[in-house]
Amino acid sequence: MTGRVNALQSSVKRSDKWSVLLTCVGESRDRSAFADLFKHYAPLIKSFAQASRHEGWFPGLNEDLVQEVMIKVWQKAAGYNPEKASATTWIYTVARNCRIDMLRRKSNTQHLPLENEDYWHEPDEETPTSLLQQKRSEEKLRESLSQLPREQDEILRKVYLEGKSHAEASKELGLPLGTVKSRVRLALQKMQILVPAEFQDELTHEQ
Amino acid sequence: MNNKTRHHPDTSMLLEFSAGTLDTAASICVSAHLHFCAHCRDSLLRLDQVGSKFMEDAETQPVDDALLDNVMQQIDRLDELSDPTLTKVTSEAKGVEGDYPPLVNKLIEADDKPPRWRRLSGSVDMARLKTGQNDFEVALHRICAGGKTPKHDHGGLEYTVVLKGSFSDERAVYSEGDFILRKPGDTHQPMGAQNGECICLSAQSAPIKLTSPWGFVMNNWLRISPR
Repeated sequence: MTGRVNALQSSVKRSDKWSVLLTCVGESRDRSAFADLFKHYAPLIKSFAQASRHEGWFPGLNEDLVQEVMIKVWQKAAGYNPEKASATTWIYTVARNCRIDMLRRKSNTQHLPLENEDYWHEPDEETPTSLLQQKRSEEKLRESLSQLPREQDEILRKVYLEGKSHAEASKELGLPLGTVKSRVRLALQKMQILVPAEFQDELTHEQ
Repeated sequence: MNNKTRHHPDTSMLLEFSAGTLDTAASICVSAHLHFCAHCRDSLLRLDQVGSKFMEDAETQPVDDALLDNVMQQIDRLDELSDPTLTKVTSEAKGVEGDYPPLVNKLIEADDKPPRWRRLSGSVDMARLKTGQNDFEVALHRICAGGKTPKHDHGGLEYTVVLKGSFSDERAVYSEGDFILRKPGDTHQPMGAQNGECICLSAQSAPIKLTSPWGFVMNNWLRISPR
């Protein structure tokens, strides 16, 4: 095993098996590690595909998405940095980007100059948080997410899983847009993910 | 790459960006802001984690073994075609113009006809970018040092991200990376900083409305063409 994989295993108390496997794929093109990742993530990606309520999505696309995402995982694994995000978060972002690209390709006849992953380009000199910090922040987030009131959880699910905008969510739930936005804000506050108010553009009013 | 940006997209925009439900033009501007703003990059990572928890906790859907075989065959073919480490190096080595966000450079390079600066007024030039959507005109604006723009209101939404230099209006000074959202009813008169030209990325859903009685001589400002 390489130094990075070793360091990864020793520095994480409750070792995240999937992040170790993904690092192996990235560093040594390890096919059996990849097969293990596939067996774990393919059913989750398929479920994520099935959750889509985007206009134009149909069940036949579910397994296409699984294939496309897992091939991207193989191709891009060398760029995975376990200090920045867990394997699950990283694979989720690949799945999200592929899902949007598949929809855009379907609904657009004109050539699109950007792929969804272009929007998430990160500067190379990014200083990552430590592995331990990253693990802790993910665990804390998971805990606070599980404690959200149902009405907040419901909206976040609509946005993340079904792919609904705030405006679409407000229509479907029969709630004013302002209520949707304030529930989102409360949820993020609880999870301590907020752009501090003083940073926000002073003309950006909420409705 | 500084971390001095003081004007950010609001949390709900960042969340929609993270979930992929934000429209293309707004996403381009948020992405450009993220290039400059470590603070928002950090928030975004945590928002992505929220999405990943939903994916992780969902009820799994059985996947046939044949799909794994199929994917393994496809990656074999891919590996024959290219060495992944090589592609990584070349994509990094590919020149990036100045401090522009890579996404903006990609838009500039991807256009079959390179974007051309067009004079809007004595102090402002504009170059439209092709983004493959029809709701917003996405463009670069260049204000010369000390240049004045006409006082205007907004007919629709307008997102602006400062890419280079700075400009000011009645409310604040905006510098590299700052993200500004203007809506109908927000009237302002942007002015370029004295110490150099200012280049902004912007997306407009409707033309601005000039508030000066001399507005009619400025017809170039009064239409948009999304592409």
